[in-house]
Amino acid sequence: MADTLESPPTVTAPAPTLEAPAAAKRYGWLTDRWLATLFVSPALALLVFLSIWPLIRLIWLSFTDFSVTRDVPASFIGFENYVDVLTSPVVRERALTTLIFVAGAVALQTVLGFAIAFLISRRTKGRGVLTTLFLIPMMLSPVVVGLFWKFMLDVQFGVVNSFLDSLGLGRVEWLTQQRLALLSLVIVDSWQWTPFIMLIALAGLTAVPKYLYEAAEIDRASEWFKFRRITFPLVWPLLLIAIMFRAIEAFRLFDLVYILTGGGPGGTTETLSYNVYKVAFFGFDTGRAAAYGILMVIIVILAAQVYLRYLDRLKGR
Amino acid sequence: MKGRLKVAAALALAAAALTLVACGGDDDEGGAATAATDATTKLSDEQMTLTFLWFEWPPAQALEELGKEYTKERPNVTVKVNTVPNAQWHDAIFTQFAARKTNFDMPILDSQNIGEAVTNGSIVDMTDFVKENIDTSVYDPYFLAAYGQYPQAQTGEANPDAKTYGLPLLGDTWAMIWRKDLMGDEPPATWEDMIAAAKKCQDENPGMSGLAFHQAGSSDAAAVTYNVMNALYGGELWNADDRQIEGVINDDAGKKAMDVLVNDMVPLAPKGSSNWFIDEVNAAISQGQVCVGFQWIAAMGGLLDPKSSELGKTREEILGKLAFAPLPPQETDKVPLGGMGLHISRYIPEEKQAEALNFIKWFQTPEAQKKWAQLGGVPARNDVLQSPEFLEAQPYNQVFTDSVPRLKDFWNLPEYAKLLNVHSTQVNAAISGTQEPDAALDKLAADEQAILDESGE
Repeated sequence: MADTLESPPTVTAPAPTLEAPAAAKRYGWLTDRWLATLFVSPALALLVFLSIWPLIRLIWLSFTDFSVTRDVPASFIGFENYVDVLTSPVVRERALTTLIFVAGAVALQTVLGFAIAFLISRRTKGRGVLTTLFLIPMMLSPVVVGLFWKFMLDVQFGVVNSFLDSLGLGRVEWLTQQRLALLSLVIVDSWQWTPFIMLIALAGLTAVPKYLYEAAEIDRASEWFKFRRITFPLVWPLLLIAIMFRAIEAFRLFDLVYILTGGGPGGTTETLSYNVYKVAFFGFDTGRAAAYGILMVIIVILAAQVYLRYLDRLKGR
Repeated sequence: MKGRLKVAAALALAAAALTLVACGGDDDEGGAATAATDATTKLSDEQMTLTFLWFEWPPAQALEELGKEYTKERPNVTVKVNTVPNAQWHDAIFTQFAARKTNFDMPILDSQNIGEAVTNGSIVDMTDFVKENIDTSVYDPYFLAAYGQYPQAQTGEANPDAKTYGLPLLGDTWAMIWRKDLMGDEPPATWEDMIAAAKKCQDENPGMSGLAFHQAGSSDAAAVTYNVMNALYGGELWNADDRQIEGVINDDAGKKAMDVLVNDMVPLAPKGSSNWFIDEVNAAISQGQVCVGFQWIAAMGGLLDPKSSELGKTREEILGKLAFAPLPPQETDKVPLGGMGLHISRYIPEEKQAEALNFIKWFQTPEAQKKWAQLGGVPARNDVLQSPEFLEAQPYNQVFTDSVPRLKDFWNLPEYAKLLNVHSTQVNAAISGTQEPDAALDKLAADEQAILDESGE
């Protein structure tokens, strides 16, 4: 009698050898790894072609006296271009202007953007429509924004001064007085890019768990307490990322300056980017402009590194 | 991991190699074509478009209109004038020169940019062509020098050893436009009389300002204004023999000029006008906001258009209020030389160069020049400048004819664009009050000297 607890011995037939169909055999060499590599290579080629190779060439040019218009081969001059840029009083002035602009614009955009996002987040009706309306300035071309603000701020013909005049406040030289011109740049840039901060802040605000507020309400926490202890700490890391992006964008501001003030009055609103443009295209000092650009990239990288470390520490807490 | 690294490295190398191949290209393709200055080069019968590049202002449209006359002579050729904003004029042309490939055939260079174009080998040498085909005796030698020669000689003289890279397209200078209904028919005798008259007019007409002139820190706006003042008060921009700017431009005459500009003229200009250039000055005059304006003659066409003027419903009404005259003298009677020449890109095929030379030859004929005058252009031939066709075409054309013996230009150097940037920025700094006039002028002199010294020519 067979032992029912034991499985009967099975004799397994040998597994049939799988034969790939003829079409598949032709591509037998195309393994998954190769396929993945092939899919990635167009993007990689674009990255190399549009970013990495130009950057390598730019670094090389920054050590030469090359001019793209002169029919003379480039000569290696070491760090001369870098020394020229770093010791130039003009560059120092432009760096200070850029720093003031970045600090002013980003601070204003952060405060306004967060405030608008906070107000929108407290609404339940019409939130989508409001958000879309606020996003409209961001969708416009900076050149178009610069052009119509230039008309609007004109002393003689502008609608802003017309309005101020009608209130008896007199006309203001928004674009032709030294400090006001930089302030005008800050205002116009903030008009266009506050929605960016608003959008990210709104995303952060809507992600705050509601049970935290409910728990706080049970403990009869005030609105200010809820904001200070729940809302702000949770949104702050996201806001920092938005601030970093805006700071990088503000640092390389060119189009608004070009259209709105042309760097004036007297060069006082000329930013680093605008000055690089002049070096590169007025004098065609390609080597020096390359060094100028590389230095700006280094500054942004260093600042971003410090910033990201702070962010990491914040997340760790 | 090693395998991945190898694959990634191989791919990167392949992409870089591809990029090198793509970027390297054939140097001969983008390089300068052989200059077809041989006048016997046969003109092509193929359909072609002769493309100019200029900045956007009325003469550009006039040139395209004139091109239709050329098409009557050469039916297979269409003349097209592409324009860019004035602030991008230099960049648009010279970035294409840098690429050694141009989508224009004939760049209209500001006369002072010739040096840069010649030293970069970007425009055709027309010396032989001009000798064989153009009667240069019909031009004031200064026009030939200013609009086409390099190296350029001193003001008012042609350099017999210089080569010719262009011929006059448009002559230009500043005209004084004043409200004769408010200030009388007689123009002021001197510059300081003009300032006094403008102030009187401003005081007597509340809501109006005394003066409108170019002040912007971009392009050559503020630069030309200061140069006018500098020349009127007997100054010089530089000593060409020693290549010396510092100590020359900011000498006593130069400082006096800046002082008059900033302390006498700017207070009479409308508030917030320190970023004004051609369009803003025209608008201020047309809207009756100012008593006296200064403008390039070639840009004045719209002043008499009733559609854009509040001075009258008809051209006659407007002319009843506006009068035109050359700039009043002071220590000297110099006036600014504006205008441009016709040049040919070296990066176009031979048959196009031949056609461009033929256009230039046609353009210099009296018939073409008179038609140019009728369309609003300012010709350069002496006989046409004196002709009724030019003088009667616009009420202010006599101003240019009268001003020709008084013209004075900038420096015509390869470093012009860099020098101009400093010039306009610093003058604008003085005008807008961001720097004291003397300090702005001293900085201008020092920065420009540094540019010249660095170029070391």
